[in-house]
Amino acid sequence: MSTQPRPLPQPSPWSAPYWEAARQRRFVIQACRACDRPIMYPRKFCPHCLGDDLEFRPSAGTGEIYTVTTQVAGPPSGFADALPYVIAVIRLDEGVQLMSNIVGDDRERARIGDRVRVDFETAGDGETVLPVFRLARAEGRAR
Amino acid sequence: MKRVTSAVVGIGEVPSGKFPDRSELDAALTVCREAILDAGLGPRDIDVVLPVGALASSHWNVDLVFSRLTEELGMLRSAKMNCQVMAGGATSSSALAVADALIASGQARRVLVVHSDAVGSLPKQRGIDLFATTGVSEEWEAPYGHNMNAVGALATARYMHETGTTEEELASVCVSLRKWAALNPNAMYRTPLTIEEVLGSKMIATPLRSRHCNMLADGAAAFVVAPAKDAPSLTKTPVYVRGHGSLVTHYSMSQDTDLARLGFVEAGRAAYAESGLGAGDIQLAAIYDAYPVWPLIALDGLGLCAGERAGAFVAAGETSPGGSLPMTTNGGMLSMGHTGVGGGIAVLVEGVRQLMGKAGPRQVENLVNAVETASGGTWMDSHVTVLSREAA
Repeated sequence: MSTQPRPLPQPSPWSAPYWEAARQRRFVIQACRACDRPIMYPRKFCPHCLGDDLEFRPSAGTGEIYTVTTQVAGPPSGFADALPYVIAVIRLDEGVQLMSNIVGDDRERARIGDRVRVDFETAGDGETVLPVFRLARAEGRAR
Repeated sequence: MKRVTSAVVGIGEVPSGKFPDRSELDAALTVCREAILDAGLGPRDIDVVLPVGALASSHWNVDLVFSRLTEELGMLRSAKMNCQVMAGGATSSSALAVADALIASGQARRVLVVHSDAVGSLPKQRGIDLFATTGVSEEWEAPYGHNMNAVGALATARYMHETGTTEEELASVCVSLRKWAALNPNAMYRTPLTIEEVLGSKMIATPLRSRHCNMLADGAAAFVVAPAKDAPSLTKTPVYVRGHGSLVTHYSMSQDTDLARLGFVEAGRAAYAESGLGAGDIQLAAIYDAYPVWPLIALDGLGLCAGERAGAFVAAGETSPGGSLPMTTNGGMLSMGHTGVGGGIAVLVEGVRQLMGKAGPRQVENLVNAVETASGGTWMDSHVTVLSREAA
């Protein structure tokens, strides 16, 4: 059993607002003011027009699962205690994609095409908050 | 159609597996010597050395960058350049494309490409952690427990979802590769494998089980590229580089919007156009695997399955010994072993070996044209190369 801690994100100058928003349990998406397109993950320059006038906009944090796997064995260091955990690529309603975990007791029932909604989990150091996702159909049930 | 400018004229390889007593240098020197002699050359004929990236030991990789092989093999003051080419698993196709371009421009006449690594001798967790960094974003993916088996799993899930490929069909890729490996003395796993064994093996990352996942191995291989016009005077069996196409589709997996296809349609179209050949002209497929979904994606994208879904095509035995399209006849990384960057080099060398007629008990008869594929990192790019016994 590994005793190494989980890797935590080390924010860059341009991604720091994303992680700070997550700490406040807000989900934001970067956007380019010049070409008005959403950007995920945050970049230094707009990947569409190379513009440098970028901002963060609130997002509902809803979307659907593009692909998903449940890691059952053979995890990287720091994740042995988390097994089984669910990794998914989420296609947000804004049209951009990100990787995250599906969390909740029903996480292993996650399938491609399922609707999901953002939630937040405090990571190992207690300072970092990771955006994670829950199956939308589980809303209203006891968590 | 592109004018053919280069040919592979020599190859070398050592067995893949766990060889803790065989150093990377030992294996590298062995395969370089074999490839140079196979090309009918001496060390001072080589003017450009392209050592590819090694992952297990940073010191060994630094040695590769800083001309150690050039010195060890007696090429001092004759070699013009020693320069590392590194594109992860796509280094095979990439290095061949670089060699071809150097030769086409007149910058090189005899190019030696060599891989040697010992990732199989790393402790298991270090191997997992090493490959959890190769194309996995430290900020956006690693905090969620992403790793190489999950890379394979996420693509497999999407591919099965879009194509209706079954678990049995997916498993049949592993079985087909094992049948070829049984005929390859350099392969790590040679005992027969059944669909039931694959489907009964331990779940790792849904839908992938342990037998769907490659095993890291130590290994080394090398090849020599020369101008097409010189090739017939060097060897009786030159293998001409007829065409190449490629496309980069992502760095981090979450950013690929078409994981069920990647860039193989576009890369294949470009490679076929350059070569003047089409899917119907191809008799052998040397397809980069590592996980069973990737050959399926490549077979689909290259139009090699006679109108069938790739999964059904492979399950019907068409890619196995005796089938209509022998595929990855060294056993691929799933059976020969995943030697790091060298997994792709071994697939390329095997395609060349078959076209040279030097594949021994697994030799496919009446070969003229073959297609080779590769992909690096988390399948960040899709490479397709058309190889042929015929220069035009």
